[in-house]
Amino acid sequence: MATTPRSGGAGSGTAQRPNGTSQNKSCQFKLVLLGESAVGKSSLVLRFVKGQFHEYQESTIGAAFLTQTICIEDTVVKFEIWDTAGQERYHSLAPMYYRGAQAAIVVYDIQNQDSFQRAKTWVKELHKQASPNIVIALAGNKADLSNIRVVEFDEAKQYAEENALLFMETSAKTGMNVNDIFLAIAKKLPKNDGANNQGSSIRPNGNETNRPTNNCCK
Amino acid sequence: MNTIGGFRSYCESRGRMSGVATPTAVRSADRTLFPNNCCCRCRLKIEPTNTVREKERERKEGTRFLSAIHLPTPSSMAIKPETRLCAVTFFAKLHPGDVCGSNGLPLTPNSIAILGRAQRLKEVQDEHLCQYLDVIRGKHERTIVVSEYVGCSLEEHVKRNPPLSLAQILRIFYQVACGINVLSQHYLVAHNLEPKNILIGPDGRLKLFNYGLYFMTKGGAYVPFPVGNIRYMAPERLLGLNGNVKSDVWALAMLLVELVLDLQLWPKLKISNVVRKILAFARSNNVLEKIAREHQCFEAYQTMDAELRQLLEKCLHASPGQRPLPRELLAHKCFADILQADREQEREKAKEDESKQQLKSHLPPLPLLLRCPLSQIYHLWQLAGGDVQAELKKEGLIRSEAPILGLPQIVRLNGASVCPTRSQSHLMDDRVVPLKMHALLQRLSQLPASVYFPLLHSPRFSSQHQRFVLELQLLPLVIRERDIEYQFHRVRLFARLLQAYPYTAELLQREAAIDIPPLLRGAVWAALLEVVPNSGYGKIDKFTPTYTDRQIEVDIPRCHQYDELLSSPDGHRKLRRLLKAWVTAHPQYVYWQGLDSLTAPFLYLNFNNEGFSLTELAFLSLFRFIPKYLHWFFLKDNSAIIKEYLSKFSQLTSYHEPLLAQHLSSISFIPELFAIPWFLTMFSHVFPLHKILHLWDKLMLGDSSYPLFIGIAILRQLRSTLLDSGFNECILLFSDLPDIVMEACVIESQKMYEATPKSITHRQHALRSQPPQSLDIGLTDVELKHLQLEQCPRISAKDVQYLLLHSPSDLALIDLRSVVDYGHVHVPHSINIPFATVQLGEQRLEALNVPQLEAQLRGRIVVCVSNIHQNAVEFSNFLVACGVQRTCILHKGFNVLHSIEPNILISN
Repeated sequence: MATTPRSGGAGSGTAQRPNGTSQNKSCQFKLVLLGESAVGKSSLVLRFVKGQFHEYQESTIGAAFLTQTICIEDTVVKFEIWDTAGQERYHSLAPMYYRGAQAAIVVYDIQNQDSFQRAKTWVKELHKQASPNIVIALAGNKADLSNIRVVEFDEAKQYAEENALLFMETSAKTGMNVNDIFLAIAKKLPKNDGANNQGSSIRPNGNETNRPTNNCCK
Repeated sequence: MNTIGGFRSYCESRGRMSGVATPTAVRSADRTLFPNNCCCRCRLKIEPTNTVREKERERKEGTRFLSAIHLPTPSSMAIKPETRLCAVTFFAKLHPGDVCGSNGLPLTPNSIAILGRAQRLKEVQDEHLCQYLDVIRGKHERTIVVSEYVGCSLEEHVKRNPPLSLAQILRIFYQVACGINVLSQHYLVAHNLEPKNILIGPDGRLKLFNYGLYFMTKGGAYVPFPVGNIRYMAPERLLGLNGNVKSDVWALAMLLVELVLDLQLWPKLKISNVVRKILAFARSNNVLEKIAREHQCFEAYQTMDAELRQLLEKCLHASPGQRPLPRELLAHKCFADILQADREQEREKAKEDESKQQLKSHLPPLPLLLRCPLSQIYHLWQLAGGDVQAELKKEGLIRSEAPILGLPQIVRLNGASVCPTRSQSHLMDDRVVPLKMHALLQRLSQLPASVYFPLLHSPRFSSQHQRFVLELQLLPLVIRERDIEYQFHRVRLFARLLQAYPYTAELLQREAAIDIPPLLRGAVWAALLEVVPNSGYGKIDKFTPTYTDRQIEVDIPRCHQYDELLSSPDGHRKLRRLLKAWVTAHPQYVYWQGLDSLTAPFLYLNFNNEGFSLTELAFLSLFRFIPKYLHWFFLKDNSAIIKEYLSKFSQLTSYHEPLLAQHLSSISFIPELFAIPWFLTMFSHVFPLHKILHLWDKLMLGDSSYPLFIGIAILRQLRSTLLDSGFNECILLFSDLPDIVMEACVIESQKMYEATPKSITHRQHALRSQPPQSLDIGLTDVELKHLQLEQCPRISAKDVQYLLLHSPSDLALIDLRSVVDYGHVHVPHSINIPFATVQLGEQRLEALNVPQLEAQLRGRIVVCVSNIHQNAVEFSNFLVACGVQRTCILHKGFNVLHSIEPNILISN
């Protein structure tokens, strides 16, 4: 089960193979992907988990779940990834997935200004409603199309720094920075205490879903 | 547009000349003047539309005229009279390797774009046009077009019968004009009129052939060769002005000039010189005279019938505006005489006895099959083993080459590669390959006429074949769908049923329950959904921008894109229109992601031009489908509806699969996490199209609860894996849904659907056709909180009464009241287990100490009855924990049974 993500593209050099000895610590983290629809959330996950890219990746309805295990220093880190639907209407389902998540990747499309604005809204919502220690990364996806970009790198970078977010421009198509952003998150996550170990809070919190207030948050 | 290479290959393919460049003037004019040659729009501006009445009159006259024509049929005709289908092939233009569009997605291959556009041509049916039947994509952008074929081409006809009489020429003139006229009514132009694209049938009826090439290739933009024979091309087309029906009028006149003057146009000139000649016509006052002089036929020109000459001169006017429209041509007085003569002949013929006509006729009687619609014949031809590509291979039109020959010789660092040109890819071979029908005709010749034309209300006539059909119905669906004889039966039967719809609705429903022939699925579904076309689709606004446009725009290029039709630009456009129309037509609803997947099967089956009825069929089917199965699912806030639906799903899972349900709930594997895309899209988002079609075949026959049973059937199929798995494994399993055996799933869901009393599936938000009666579960009786608290569904008193009366052996009634109460009054054969006395701590049936309880409950619907609802709930939960199937709770408890009349209770 423990494998490093296939190096589908640039810069996966930091990932290490587990050396198979029992002294490895192991942690698992729940990670959620959020962002406007068609920015490439599912593609990022697919690239990270299976090393694949589908040009015509189907839209996600509700949410999809995938896992990937990576090895970082002497720790085996298992990501349990909830890939959510992007359409605004599915917003009411989102809290079910981000509540209890230790990490989130908020994705926007560098060709689309609206998707960047929406990413900012997500960050705000996560700061307000998600767990206070959540590690948030901002991913400017579709970096392979940077010749027709609308959202400038510096603008996004500045925003990320102001809000203490990890930030990378990624391309699920070429694989650029895809593994790196997950690795960066893994590094930033606390791996010493037992609180996030072994399936404590992987399940979406069903009891708290869809409180009436969630249906109308815009 | 026309490139040098294009022209060259064009010439080479015709074997007439080589190495000729297009005149620079033509190319530059192409680019500068007419960058977009949208045929429809240009013509729309030029040509005023007919009134409906005029059209009708013309059509009637045309028909009458035609039926009277009888050109002599030469006995030496090469193609057999039964040849009805043919194929032509060409290559679509290849995109330069690895280029992406502005959205980062790869460019759609041109052959797919052609495939999408060509669908519209299938709907153009007229006696003067060869019907289009299919477009097939081969390797390397090869495109194969299958269409109707009759008799022989005008080219051959002229060779065999020189010279044609004036009357014959006029008849040809008139009929071709009829064809062009019909095309222009459909906003199409032929732009490739030439003698070999005009076919003359054995009855003398004339049909245009290959007339859709210009349209399907978007004016030649998708192919590496120019469309049309240069000799018949009007000057304005050489200058790049395309899409005008008047250019077809020019071409028609040119080919008539050849017939009338009995000459061949510029037989020895190079293409470049022909172009020069035609361009020179633009300065000429009298093109016809000029042609005659150039070909040394001035005498013939002078002696020509004056009216015909005038008409031809008008048609060959350098300025398109001065040429007559096709319908003006048809009204010209030079046709009056032959029209009159033909009408008289027709009248005489009508007087003669029909049987005498039969005797007189030299032609053998047509096989019955040829009286069926061509689309059916082609479908059967394929089922009989017909393979268009194989036929083309036999004729040498498709040659396979060793792949090694196609390897690049040089690959540059920027990715561009230099390959040896494939020998065929640049060459156009416009040979027409007839598809041999012999095998098919023979195969079906033994069948009696009653199978060709089934009698719906006289079953005794077809008893023998009924048996054959019944035997085949025992075989798996996939086999039935490929059995030619069986499909023939089914197609003919359903075609009849559809013709008589809605009067045959009941019969149609009954037959559809057996299976639905794939050829007619779209129409059959529409009938099952009670669609009645009302041309309302055309009136819905599909253009005004709305807030949902962006979402629709990003969803469409991700929706079932493995399918050729749905991935074509036309597919995208049609899906967008359908979705926008649906949203506009439902102000109370909004677009939810998933609606695209839901619409796709309907579009796939009814993929057709907007102006005609078929896309309307797609829209109306969707329009009826959603309230039937997804009532209120597309509300802006649909959470109440979805929650209720999923809770009911959980209950029904407990009802049919108690142990599995227990396991899933124990690992918190709730339907919210995996089943929303199932139900919101009726599985169209989770399965590929071919599976959806079979699934929906059955779904259409059930009511709004049917999808729930499909969901359970899927769980049941994965049961052993799920029971062995924890949360992560389960959710991973569903994120990447494994191969579900659809036929098993369908059969299983149907069984459960039929075995489950209706009230068990009661949902507050389902669309109801009748108001509930006193013994039914009331509309607002069961709220969401009840559903979420109770593991087992409730059953209505009405269903219990029905079971007691009609199938008491299917029912096990557990009376939870005290022994005393039971002694006073009870339902016969009910089992009394006083709730107060039982210990539910241990999850074993034996713990209840009721002798042979397990045997008494097995295979029955177990109804828990109490007057204290909570008791029934707890006891039913206990039964589920013990793995007892089909456990439910009597709604409103024991007391409701008192109100049943006639009395069902025994009292002491």
